Amino acid sequence: MSFVPKILSFSCNWCSYAAADLAGTNRMQYPASLRIVRVMCSGMVHPNLIVEAFTKGADGVMVMG
Amino acid sequence: MAEQKIGAVMVVGGGIAGMQAALDLADNGFFVYLVERGAVIGGSMSRLDKTYPTNDCAM
Amino acid sequence: MNIELLTLTEVEGVEGEEGDFTVSLRQHPRYVDMDKCIACGQCAEKCPKKVKDFNYNEGLGFRKAIFVRYPQGVPLKYRIDPENCIKLTKGKCGVCEKVCPAGAIRFDDQESSRTIKVGSVILAPGHQGFNPTGIRTWGFGVFPNVITSLQMERLLASSGPTEGHLTRPSDGREARKIAFLQCVGSRDVNKAGHGYCSSVCCMYAIKESLIAMEHVPGLDVSIFFMDIRTHGKDFERYYNRAKDQGIKFRRCRVHSLEPGEGEGNIYLRYITDEGKQVADEFDMVVLSVGLETPPQAVDLAGRVGVELNHHNFVEKSCFTPVHTTRPGIFACGTFSGPKNIPHSVMEASAAAAGAAQSLAEARFTLTKAKEFPPERDVSGQEPKVGVFVCHCGSNIAGVIDVAKVADYAASLPGVAYVERNLFTCSQDTQDLMRAKIAELGLNRIVVAACTPRTHEPLFRETLKASGLNEYLIEMANIRNQASWVHAGEPEAATEKAMDLVRMAVAKVSLLAPLPTLAVPVKRKALVIGGGVAGLTAALTLAGQGYPVDLVEKSSMLGGNAQHLFNTFKFEPIPQFVLALVKRVQQEPNIQVYLNSEVVAAEGFVGNFRSTLNTPAGEVVIDHGVAIMATGGHAHKPDEYGYGQSRKVFTALEFDKLHEAGETRIKRAKNFAFIQCVGSREPSRPYCSRVCCTHAIQAAIQLKQEDPERNVFILYRDVRTYGQREELYTKARELGVVFVNYDMHERPKVKVRGDESVAVTVWDHVLHQPFTFPADVVILATAIIPNEVGKLAQIYKLPVDSDGFLQEAHVKLRPVDFSVDGLFLAGLAHYPKPIEETIAQAKAAASRAATVLSKESISLDSIKAEVSATRCDGCALCLDVCPFHAISLVEIEGGEGKRRIEINAAQCKGCGCCQATCPKDGVAVAGFTYEQLAAQVTAALS
Repeated sequence: MSFVPKILSFSCNWCSYAAADLAGTNRMQYPASLRIVRVMCSGMVHPNLIVEAFTKGADGVMVMG
Repeated sequence: MAEQKIGAVMVVGGGIAGMQAALDLADNGFFVYLVERGAVIGGSMSRLDKTYPTNDCAM
Repeated sequence: MNIELLTLTEVEGVEGEEGDFTVSLRQHPRYVDMDKCIACGQCAEKCPKKVKDFNYNEGLGFRKAIFVRYPQGVPLKYRIDPENCIKLTKGKCGVCEKVCPAGAIRFDDQESSRTIKVGSVILAPGHQGFNPTGIRTWGFGVFPNVITSLQMERLLASSGPTEGHLTRPSDGREARKIAFLQCVGSRDVNKAGHGYCSSVCCMYAIKESLIAMEHVPGLDVSIFFMDIRTHGKDFERYYNRAKDQGIKFRRCRVHSLEPGEGEGNIYLRYITDEGKQVADEFDMVVLSVGLETPPQAVDLAGRVGVELNHHNFVEKSCFTPVHTTRPGIFACGTFSGPKNIPHSVMEASAAAAGAAQSLAEARFTLTKAKEFPPERDVSGQEPKVGVFVCHCGSNIAGVIDVAKVADYAASLPGVAYVERNLFTCSQDTQDLMRAKIAELGLNRIVVAACTPRTHEPLFRETLKASGLNEYLIEMANIRNQASWVHAGEPEAATEKAMDLVRMAVAKVSLLAPLPTLAVPVKRKALVIGGGVAGLTAALTLAGQGYPVDLVEKSSMLGGNAQHLFNTFKFEPIPQFVLALVKRVQQEPNIQVYLNSEVVAAEGFVGNFRSTLNTPAGEVVIDHGVAIMATGGHAHKPDEYGYGQSRKVFTALEFDKLHEAGETRIKRAKNFAFIQCVGSREPSRPYCSRVCCTHAIQAAIQLKQEDPERNVFILYRDVRTYGQREELYTKARELGVVFVNYDMHERPKVKVRGDESVAVTVWDHVLHQPFTFPADVVILATAIIPNEVGKLAQIYKLPVDSDGFLQEAHVKLRPVDFSVDGLFLAGLAHYPKPIEETIAQAKAAASRAATVLSKESISLDSIKAEVSATRCDGCALCLDVCPFHAISLVEIEGGEGKRRIEINAAQCKGCGCCQATCPKDGVAVAGFTYEQLAAQVTAALS
């Protein structure tokens, strides 16, 4: 089986999280291995949180805002 | 002018101007009827891609 | 909650008078039950009838007979177009009814009538784009690759029919070379019947050009124009940028379009600046269509009883820019003349202020406020989580194995109850949720359904109604971010849904109740500046019953308007200003401080304290809002012989002498107006907006007084935007000579020993310099904002690079600052004529009244909170806070130790402090490090 990376995204409620919702409304398709954590602003994502995601097994982390 | 005034306002048109007027009035203690000919509000601005001069998204 | 949205509704008539109107409405059928439709879109997917989409995509794409205009539409409910629906026209089909999971289709929906009672009416029916069909010159409808600017807008939109690819309608090939033709349906009485300028087309053509160049690198763009009218804030810079990026601006009118040699191409013939005739071939031509009042809006005006002028725009005075001819009925937006978005938004707020002033004593008589039971204390309780999994008809359940998700949820720690619902958002589920919360003592709720962005408010209400703190909920977005985007992978989608529920349960268990935050409001306004903007704002607020303190640094009220004589409609300004000042002086709600200045201020929305320096000493004022109307002044030039000859004047100096009948002007034969003196230059790259109109009005008066006079206007672009265009037409008819000049060939004014003056300008027709003696030279000097540096520091206001105050958002919040409770109006914002200043001042008052109308302001509870034990006062967070909400204070009895303090009214909960803090000493409620980390751990376990 091919490698499926686990991607974690911190998405801003006002833009990228809304964009992810709109992707759904438009029925766009993307890999199911993405997990989104909603934040009120990408500015609130502490660097340690990103490190924590990697140590817990994430293959990639996105901070979108 | 009427003696007993009615604390409600009708705003005709659900474009950017009508929406702003409705929001201001509701925030100022008035009941607002927002009347729109079409099935959704948003008006002309919702059709625009970007806005000048900052090229912000019109949505 | 206090806005009732009535869609598909038209006004039949308005009876009654100001304060007490009876309105009859006609509501057209939607054929879809708004309460039931969940906007899943299955109806449109299956609907067999495809029609060209003129509702949104300008005929470039297709929609179905059941549709929603655009995906972000409000209300997000489908409707059936009865003209195209097969069932409604032929009685067959009905597919939508069969596939609708919510049973929302109502083929028997009927037209209905309704009567409402209102105290005031605001008309904002808007405009339509000019339709160039049938006018041969433009070739629209003849050549497939001639499109309108609105079609261009849709082609460039990533949500449009081509997903943002700039392709030609004829063959789908990417366009490489395009031309914009300006003034299609504007400034054109012969072909379009419109003598006005549409005000917005120059800017949108530049915008579409710049964006098109981003989409197609190397795209060749030419814009054919008469005058480039970039007269708004930061517009001139935008124009300069377009020139720098290689957009070709050609000053000429193209007289006709012909088929080109290449398939689908268009051939244009035009005359260059050098006077040469050339022909050029383009892939695509965009017609920059103007704005006009739609026939339905003309009918509306008739039914409501307000007068329109000969352009079909609302008839109004410059002194009452949002009033119509019928008292109690106001108008705003493009219905009262072509204008751009910020100007429409300003007028909308101004119209709201007009209505609010008219109905001030009826405020809060018809608004409703919801009441909730007292909150249950859940502190110290173990989490008892209720999980509600939504099927959303088949939107979720059609892809995700919801039974499996529900079973899995039940196995999670802390989960006490799990329920599946066909529609978790339905009213009966809300009732069920309340019953279960009471019955089982649930203290946390997870809803696995759609997005919290649209539905969290609904569930929060349900929690409140159940006596639970509204913040004890978390949503798992298993529709928009799972079933809809992984429709082809049901197993993976189910797994993801389980993960999302696990993440939500992990977070909700750590959530704490958040207090409702409210701050009391000091219901008084401070207005800074005693010009027309400040006076109008003060009167608008005082007229609604709010006390106002007005500060003016000079010894007189009236500002720049004391030096003006006419509006663009030749209405006399001096009488207006005198009356305005008198009204302010007689208004008991207004306290005026002359020769005074603000020297210090502190506080936040609803609670400002400002200190004034007045002739009677220091005065401290407590106020809830402040309006900055600090104004501007005229530039004093050091060029064109100013100061060297008594024949060279600034426009304001000239006006005074002209009005007084001074002999130098009375006897003069040759007049030269020089435009853009100090404006649109590298050191001041903005247009002063009012000077073209002013010069032309003065020229008209000079010609009317004595037709034998020679009047020259030396200009760069004539910017008589909107309905001012008629003045330009009139001046040309009267024989005023307009001579265009370029920045690199500016006019020369030579002052001889005897103070006689000769003006030289390059003649574009003869291609040689042209010199004439001038008896009077009038310089249209720039408007410069008054110095606001000190005030900006006191109130932490942003100032732009030209020295103007910077509003919160150029389009949508034109009179607000990014700091809540502070507003702006007038020349401090940007140069503008008196009617725009009045509208903006009323708008600022309207926005300010949204604060003053309340006894207290409730705040969102998602705020940063400081940990008393972990914060060590390092203050790293102070610099990163974009809202200046953090301050450093000494801990009481802490021996000089310090700690940060958050001002909840200023904090927006962005959490930049949280990400910066090395000690975990500050966290945003509901999004703490611990809570986010719990989600991260749950996502990856």
